[in-house]
Amino acid sequence: MARAIWSGSISFGMVTIPVKLFGATESRDISFNLLHATCGTKLQQKRWCPTDEVEVPWNETARGYEFSKGQYVVLTEEDFEQLPLPSKHTIDLTAFVEEKEIDPVFYEKSYYLAPAERAEKPYALLLKALEEKKLSATASITIRKKEQLCVLRPHQGTIVLETLYYPDEVRQERGVDIGKVKVSDRELEMAFTLIELLKKPFDPSEYRDNYREALAQLIEAKLEGKQVVSAPATRETGVLDLAEALKRSVEAAKKGGKPKPASRERTRPARRRTRKVG
Amino acid sequence: MSEVGDVLTQLETRKARFVLSIGTHNLSVTNLDKVLWPATAGSTALTKRDLLRYMTRVSPWLLPHLAGRPLFVTRYPDGVNGKSFYQKHWEDPPEFARNISIYSSHNEGDGNYLICENLATLLWLSQMAGLEFHPWFSRIDLGADTRGLSLKFTGSEATLDESVLNFPDFVVLDLDPYEYSGKEGKGEEPELHRRAFKRTTELALRLRELLRGLGLKTFVKTSGRTGLHIYIPILRTFDFDAVRNIAETIGRYALQQWPKDITLEWSVERRTGKIFFDYNQNSRGKSLASIFSPRRHALGTVSMPVEWERLDKIYPTDFTIITAPELLEERGDPWSDILSSKQNLAELLEERTA
Repeated sequence: MARAIWSGSISFGMVTIPVKLFGATESRDISFNLLHATCGTKLQQKRWCPTDEVEVPWNETARGYEFSKGQYVVLTEEDFEQLPLPSKHTIDLTAFVEEKEIDPVFYEKSYYLAPAERAEKPYALLLKALEEKKLSATASITIRKKEQLCVLRPHQGTIVLETLYYPDEVRQERGVDIGKVKVSDRELEMAFTLIELLKKPFDPSEYRDNYREALAQLIEAKLEGKQVVSAPATRETGVLDLAEALKRSVEAAKKGGKPKPASRERTRPARRRTRKVG
Repeated sequence: MSEVGDVLTQLETRKARFVLSIGTHNLSVTNLDKVLWPATAGSTALTKRDLLRYMTRVSPWLLPHLAGRPLFVTRYPDGVNGKSFYQKHWEDPPEFARNISIYSSHNEGDGNYLICENLATLLWLSQMAGLEFHPWFSRIDLGADTRGLSLKFTGSEATLDESVLNFPDFVVLDLDPYEYSGKEGKGEEPELHRRAFKRTTELALRLRELLRGLGLKTFVKTSGRTGLHIYIPILRTFDFDAVRNIAETIGRYALQQWPKDITLEWSVERRTGKIFFDYNQNSRGKSLASIFSPRRHALGTVSMPVEWERLDKIYPTDFTIITAPELLEERGDPWSDILSSKQNLAELLEERTA
């Protein structure tokens, strides 16, 4: 199984159950790297200050909250440390509710909760109780510094933890206004008929990501056909003959053209902030 | 009497202000007893008079290196421990100071730049507590190596791109040790110390060998602070973009060879414990402190050219505004032939890769 992203314990009343948290879902999207089209080198992201025209190292960054356009209040590490974070390593159960009471719009992300060593017994007990009573437990948990509302529910012999959006994170403006639309009984009957026709049990295995599969096939074909772009073996990898490398670097500068703004910028990094010693 | 001897004699007066005559030029000098380098545990205080004396004494060697090059100057009106100004433009220079109009993308217009070609200009700058001299790596003079390049420097970036000022005489490699002595305050730059400097000289010697392998002659000088500057004189066939790429490529190659010693990291933190190989100065309008330039250092050190063979025997504080002129008079300038040693790098690379 994947690495636990969190460990701590469930606590309710006098009982604590040591548990570990694992992501229950994962995105399977094929991801791409952004390359420089002319040479095939992977692009780097740089933090750039457009005022000083310098690249900014982490130690010169600050976190600013934009309270009105272009105006920021800066928060320091000390400020963040002052904030309260109550449930760091515990999942505090606060109430038991029926699952159908929670609208799916609140669900954010699903995690599997697994019992830590020697905690199987109390874990099994909680799971069975939830199954029998057909209940879910609301709780709070802190993951990566952020306290989140969550719900624990039984699912195929496991307790699943669903993080929930807070109510104020669910938008109230729905963009829908059909109060004045009139629907006749005949039209409604027609809709019922269509629905009946397509009604069947939900089987997730029937659904596939067609786009991803097509993309994977395309990549496979490209690899076989050797239409592959590979970065030139310079710089970080393999030692080139220095003279050859210098010649290439000169050619690269020529290709850059002369009055090109981008290359101009590149030749003038860090006007003031490069700290010169020598 | 020579101009230099004449000026030195005049500076022997006890007067704190007088009109100095330099050949046919007159210059009001003031506050000559102003301390620019306060006394330290191991050194006496140095004044503006000491600075003027120094500049006068080294001028025969220094002026050829400044000729034709736009010059930036760092001024320290309150001495090396006070605030400094990096001055690029001069509104109303005296008649003996040559100046030239050059387009500046920073100002989005033409600006007045200084070119220091005589002792009077040098002393005028010193009188204003101009301590650090930063000449461009390119110059406004045409030569056998500048066919097709223009002498038009105004109006736009594009004009400047096509001009002789876009073609430097040198590839420069700036080696800055980021090894801390342990005495620095938080956020301070590393101080000069023996171990770090020794490591820097060793790296410089290895770079010299590497470049010699390509058939290139190199020149080295102390930065006057903690590091070393290596110059490769070249014919002006490559523009700044190409030269910067060349310097970066040398840096990356050296990084592969000696990853424990070199860093090309932009972030100061990640340079710690290594020698920062700075190739970024190879840009139009950027510069390093000139040969013989005084530096911001408590002891009044200067950037001093050194013979490669003697590099392992010297230490940056050997060369101050007091000691450097004597050494120079004794041994001469190891860089005197740098401009007659310009190498055809384009041709050399063709040969090596054929």
